[in-house]
Amino acid sequence: MTGAAISIEHVTKRFPLKGQSAGVMALEDISIAVEQSEFVALLGPSGCGKSTLLRLVASLERPTEGTVSIGGEAPGSLAARHALGVAFQDHALLPWLNVHDNIALPFSLANKPVDREAVGGLIDLVGLNGFETARPGQLSGGMRQRVSIARSLVLSPEVLLLDEPFGALDAVTRRQMNIELQRIWSRQRITTVLVTHSVDEALFLADRVLVLSARPGRIIREVATPFDRPRDPAVMRSATFHDLVDDLTDALHPTDATAHAGR
Amino acid sequence: MPGASSRLIAIACGTAGLAGFFALWQVIGHYQLAGLSWPPLTAVLQYLFDPDRHALFLRAIDATLRSTIAGYLIGALTGIGLASIAYTLPMLQRGSDRFAAVVNSIPSIALGPIFLILISREATPAGVASIHVFFIVYVSMNSGLASTSQAHEDLFSALGSSRLKRFLRLNFPSAVPAIASGLRLSWPAALIGAIIGEWFGAPRGIGILIINSMQNFQINLLWSAVLLAAMASLFFFGMLTLVERAAYRRFR
Ligand SMILES: Nc1ncnc2c1ncn2[C@@H]1O[C@H](COP(=O)(O)OP(=O)(O)OP(=O)(O)O)[C@@H](O)[C@H]1O
Ligand SMILES: [Mg+2]
Repeated sequence: MTGAAISIEHVTKRFPLKGQSAGVMALEDISIAVEQSEFVALLGPSGCGKSTLLRLVASLERPTEGTVSIGGEAPGSLAARHALGVAFQDHALLPWLNVHDNIALPFSLANKPVDREAVGGLIDLVGLNGFETARPGQLSGGMRQRVSIARSLVLSPEVLLLDEPFGALDAVTRRQMNIELQRIWSRQRITTVLVTHSVDEALFLADRVLVLSARPGRIIREVATPFDRPRDPAVMRSATFHDLVDDLTDALHPTDATAHAGR
Repeated sequence: MPGASSRLIAIACGTAGLAGFFALWQVIGHYQLAGLSWPPLTAVLQYLFDPDRHALFLRAIDATLRSTIAGYLIGALTGIGLASIAYTLPMLQRGSDRFAAVVNSIPSIALGPIFLILISREATPAGVASIHVFFIVYVSMNSGLASTSQAHEDLFSALGSSRLKRFLRLNFPSAVPAIASGLRLSWPAALIGAIIGEWFGAPRGIGILIINSMQNFQINLLWSAVLLAAMASLFFFGMLTLVERAAYRRFR
């Protein structure tokens, strides 16, 4: 069991914006406690502050108000210890490195020798065998995302932050990647926050799913998933799963629900 | 391949343009439209490739190229070095930008005497060349370093990279295409610098041929020296264009 608990307390994040004296309120008084070895998924409309939340945990932004801490430390010290794994919306692969070297980059930045076995295993896991020496420019968008996921896992981090890591994948590959991620996650139990637009993905992968409101983001719904681990893809066909999907979809699209009620 | 045919058209246009330029030169010279000081191209080529003058021209171009290459290397290394130091130690950035701007604002014709006093007559051409190269490479590397993508910067922060590692593994590689462009553009500037530098008493070189032939009204010699300098400039410029292309392919 690895991982560290993440605590987000009364966090407000305002971005300065020209022409608006108050700036953009991305997050307002949000509190989330992610337990050690817990997998939390965030759902919410575009622009509600999901990426901002992850960036606060990664110490790439500072909260305007409130505090973020990881295992009692400031978020920056986790990064400094090379104990953070990230795969952000923008895959951010280095164009001059091949697939293998991109995945191995965290070792170099952590001043550790490259564990070739770990890199090879992850290349296998994300289905990029034979592409070790390809450059990012020679890969499809979905393949690049998979490289970035492999890179986020290579150091076996204490905290994993995933921002729509499967957004560019087709439905079939996405399902496969979900199953693979679920499998390795069940083995390693890294404290994870996943941002996604897919309700199914959130329910299948997470222990707890949080739904954020439109900007400024606030938590409007919280669902604990009742499925055992390791999870069989068959749970996605269970009645409980379908009920939870409906429940979360309603929370995500309140206007749809009202429209239905009105008719 | 659609790229191949457009490339062919570009080459054809370039060749036609060059041929037109040479034809015009020949016609103006032949009919003395611009007076006696404009010889026809054929006369210049005949003069330039006359076996009796091979030794003269070879000695001159050899000396000029040596100075140019020496100045080019010194200027490029200084530019890259100073830009690297200024980038990794931000408190130096402002000062080094000012320094580079001041150095660049001195006309090269005024730099010559300074080098003459500071170093030797022989080293002055390389000195002037190095100043030209230094500024171009310094500025292009700075803009290359600044072009590092924010997403990559964020990744390195999240992975807890040290400043030095960030520079070596991210900022510098990001700047390589811009540095290659700077290296290409600074070659002609280096050659001009070396020729100007030779005017301050270098023992031999294209600059010396130019200034002597001008004073003695040796029209064919003057044009031959200029043509030779232009050929040397274009040849290396072409080579450096290939290097630049490779850098863009590799690092973008
Ligand atoms: N650096 C910034 N400067 C100014 N405003 C910003 C900045 N980053 C984010 N914002 C604003 O904060 C809000 C939340 O952005 P964020 O990227 O967190 O949304 P998101 O929930 O991740 O959306 P999506 O699902 O489209 O990725 C947006 O309104 C955005 O305009
Ligand atoms: Mg986002």
